[in-house]
Amino acid sequence: MWRSGRRLDDCQLAPVPRPLILLPAVVLLLIAFRAATVSSQAQGQLPPGFGQALVAVRGAEAAGATPAEVAPLVSLLNNALQLNREAQAGNRTQLEVQVSNQLASVQSQAGQLEGVASQRTFMDDVISYLAGGVGALVATVACAYLFSFWRRYRVKRTFQMRIYRK
Amino acid sequence: MATPRKRVWVMVFIVLFIVFETVAYVSTTPRPTEQFFQLYVLGANRLAADYYPNDDPNIGVGDAVPWYLGVSNFMGSVQLVALRVKLGNQTIQPPNDQNATSSQAPVVMELQRVLQDNETWEFPFVWRILNATSAGGVTRILGLMVNNQTYPLVGVEARDGYDFRFIIELWTWSVDSNAFQFGWYAGPEQRVAWLQVWFNATAVP
Repeated sequence: MWRSGRRLDDCQLAPVPRPLILLPAVVLLLIAFRAATVSSQAQGQLPPGFGQALVAVRGAEAAGATPAEVAPLVSLLNNALQLNREAQAGNRTQLEVQVSNQLASVQSQAGQLEGVASQRTFMDDVISYLAGGVGALVATVACAYLFSFWRRYRVKRTFQMRIYRK
Repeated sequence: MATPRKRVWVMVFIVLFIVFETVAYVSTTPRPTEQFFQLYVLGANRLAADYYPNDDPNIGVGDAVPWYLGVSNFMGSVQLVALRVKLGNQTIQPPNDQNATSSQAPVVMELQRVLQDNETWEFPFVWRILNATSAGGVTRILGLMVNNQTYPLVGVEARDGYDFRFIIELWTWSVDSNAFQFGWYAGPEQRVAWLQVWFNATAVP
């Protein structure tokens, strides 16, 4: 009869050296790193804060800013993209500061533009609805005058009638 | 107490008021429009023709191929778009329109631009094969030059140099996910726009 402990010792695997255990993990890490590097090279990263600047410009546009007012902000955003591309190619620190400043400027200008545009849109709406009311009043008065003139004309024509014997 | 005639004029005023305010509402409310992008590639003469030098789709190493790529924004708002230019072969899967997935072909380059509503961005796309090898019936393109910039490539090959293809995908910036997405959302529906132009590279030594 054999002891269970002894049997287990027989089946035990030969000890594997520690560096060999780590090898597959290192290979996997290298593959993952390589894939990430290729991906980042191929697909340019946006500068931090670009998304917020874009949202701010969209906000100004939605508030009623005209295309002519939005155009300079869009131009600044495209300039920031260009600088970001150059920063990724080289001269990183200086260009990144420029991009950051430009995006901050876009956000600030877009905020101001949104305020102005929303106020203008509100006033335009108020004026339009007021004009509707005033227009309805003027049209009613005009109709009343026309009706009055038409009645007077009918009365005048009635009194101008002459009776002829046939 | 109002006379019947006054009452009539009040009714006329109310009717006219409703009509005029309806006109004011319609004129101040923006009309919903269809939201979409337009993506196109033109040949050397800015026409949908002459895509290859001397009308020969077999492109040799160093041959300049002038195209024009264009994107128009009809989304009704400012949009950040990215054009991802990929190089694939006949067997690689193209983008899928049904489930809006992009192609797995390797990306050669990416171009980004912020576009205003109703704005068209068109630019020259002059490319040439810089480096390619042919061995064992397989042609590999190892490098491309696009607009005087060099792009090294890995893993782009085709049997006997036939049926390479440029796949040009339109990606847009999603404010919600803070990342680029393939295509765009028009309401709940995701739409995609992509192009492909085939060519051969059989004259590679």
